[in-house]
Amino acid sequence: MSKTITLNHITKIEGHAKLNLKIDKGKITTCELSATEGARYFEGIVKGRKYYAAHEMTSRICGICSCAHVVAALTAVEDALGLTISEQSCRLRVLLTLAERIRSHATHLYFLALPDYLGYESALSMAPEYKPQLQAALRLMKMGNGIVKLLGGRDLHPVSAGVGGWLKLPKQEEMEETGKELLKVKKDAIATVKLFAGLKQPEFESDAEWFSLVDPNEYAVLKGKFASGKSSFEKHEYRKFIEEYHQAYSTSNFVVKEDRRYFVSALARLNNNHRQLSRDAQKALKETGLKPPSKNPYHNNLAQAIELIHCIDHAMEICKREIKQEEMPEITPRAGRGVGAIEVPRGTLWHEYTLDEKGIITDANIITPTAQNLFAMQEDIRKRMPSLLKKKKQEIVLDMEKLIRNYDPCFSCAAHFLEVKWL
Amino acid sequence: MKTDKNKKLKVGVYGITGCSGCQLSIIFNEEEILDLLSLIDLKAFPFIKELNIDEEFDCIILEGLVANKGDLEILRKLRRNSKMLVSLGACACTGCVPAYRHFTLKENYEHLLYKKQEELQDVEPSPHDEHVKVDYYIPGCPPDKKEILRFIKGSVRGVLPRPHQNPVCIECRRNGNACLLDEGKPCLGPITTGGCNAVCINGGFECWGCRGPTKDMNLDLMIKMLRDRGFDDRFIQDRMRTFVGLKLPMLERVMQGPKSKVLQTRFDGEKKFYE
Repeated sequence: MSKTITLNHITKIEGHAKLNLKIDKGKITTCELSATEGARYFEGIVKGRKYYAAHEMTSRICGICSCAHVVAALTAVEDALGLTISEQSCRLRVLLTLAERIRSHATHLYFLALPDYLGYESALSMAPEYKPQLQAALRLMKMGNGIVKLLGGRDLHPVSAGVGGWLKLPKQEEMEETGKELLKVKKDAIATVKLFAGLKQPEFESDAEWFSLVDPNEYAVLKGKFASGKSSFEKHEYRKFIEEYHQAYSTSNFVVKEDRRYFVSALARLNNNHRQLSRDAQKALKETGLKPPSKNPYHNNLAQAIELIHCIDHAMEICKREIKQEEMPEITPRAGRGVGAIEVPRGTLWHEYTLDEKGIITDANIITPTAQNLFAMQEDIRKRMPSLLKKKKQEIVLDMEKLIRNYDPCFSCAAHFLEVKWL
Repeated sequence: MKTDKNKKLKVGVYGITGCSGCQLSIIFNEEEILDLLSLIDLKAFPFIKELNIDEEFDCIILEGLVANKGDLEILRKLRRNSKMLVSLGACACTGCVPAYRHFTLKENYEHLLYKKQEELQDVEPSPHDEHVKVDYYIPGCPPDKKEILRFIKGSVRGVLPRPHQNPVCIECRRNGNACLLDEGKPCLGPITTGGCNAVCINGGFECWGCRGPTKDMNLDLMIKMLRDRGFDDRFIQDRMRTFVGLKLPMLERVMQGPKSKVLQTRFDGEKKFYE
């Protein structure tokens, strides 16, 4: 008996993707997960532009993680220019990144993932029965958006972060006010953990290894080595351990480390860095019964919920600090290569730029979390399928969608188009 | 647009190639999003809905640009199925950053081209109105989330908000910002359509023109202002074309002069954008 399952438009994810499964006599003959987005060639179109256009242009790779692309591009460009930013500039970039993570996690958890578990087609249709929960989600989203707007000038594609620092700094009283607001929404984050801890998750183990930045000083955001439980790498060396290639059926790349697949995500961060979570986030983690490291990708939602508490705590710490007026540094272009590796909502994001002596970009490479996760996602589907074969097609589809959504993929990011290398 | 008072407006929100940011901007109306359903009959919104009914729509709000054949098919189908087509965001209205590919040297991205071109089904990156008739534009990268809300509320009442015509400078002055051009920065506010409340300049950043040129822009003067401030022609072209290059087909001709070194692109002169 052969069965074909084609999900042409996977809904409730960022961007567009399809899944093509063929099962023949109980065996999976085809399993292809692919982005259906058109290619946008970001790495090609930034070439020939000056170093200061990189973050402004690559921000457009993704709406929900536009701050991530801005910060990663700035980090890489400054690395190439040999520019060190002030402690305050870095701290505010951390805050921008955390704020984006709060709104992204809240949006994903409540609007994209939760309806699957509660048996609704969408969050909007949950509204009559789950209004308080949705309002909590919207408060968290508003909080994240509010901070992004305060620091970046607007909700999406922030403008105030520039090469070398900040074009405009928030006022002290605005930061204090933000700190108070954060404290108010903390209860919503705690409720989110309780809600997601109560959802039944399938027993499943991915064969992929988890990777994230690891920073001895804090729950890694913008600094650290790229590491798993087993190995650890410096960011500048990434071309030695990350390989990219292209599948014939997709516009995205899969990234393989030493011929193995791996995943990056909130769960990967939790697995590596859970001891550095804030006290309340650790407490919440303990209560859920989740014991990192976990190789079950279905736990990513819960990891995101726990990160909400941590991000709020970390953000509150930053809001207490004094804001000093600083001048932007004078920049003298120079030739060089720079790498930015930062932790963003969906995992580790890589930006690399090579500049000539005039500061013109001569080469660019961007690897997004979803591009790194695609291979693991596809192979998880392949591994999970056999246990589902006796179920109805509809149930299989829902299970597959749940698995895919748990990874919180962003196909807009994945289909930005990377360099092609045939293996 | 609405005839029967008891019949809600059938709306579909879709995205083709893009960053999903415009669709997020709808959801990021945190205070209003849950009440939206009482106003309209949201038939389709695949970004956040599992059940998407593909039928006759009163209004389709579409994010993203045409970058492959699939996009073009979806665009044409949605156009056929809807009384009204709304282009949401800069990709949809002008092609935004992805369409900047038209103005970069081919050798910059040639090596990125997918070997199996026929499978990738690439088409030249282009905004909606290069392919179909568009009834309303909500420009900007990202679009102003309140502007989207005003549009939806307006279309329910049958009164569409009047498109903005004034340049960004009007709002910028009203906000009391110091003029960035006076500070020698390359701000495109004078030739860019407002409606964004000068959000970038409020944030300390110069306008890059994402909402598109105003109908009565003075391009010659803008170019002169930038040249006077020491920006070379290459810079001026790059900057102006980043978001809305396809809507400035006359740029090269205007810039032509004995002194200017112009980057040759496939556009040489005027191009017709409307079918």
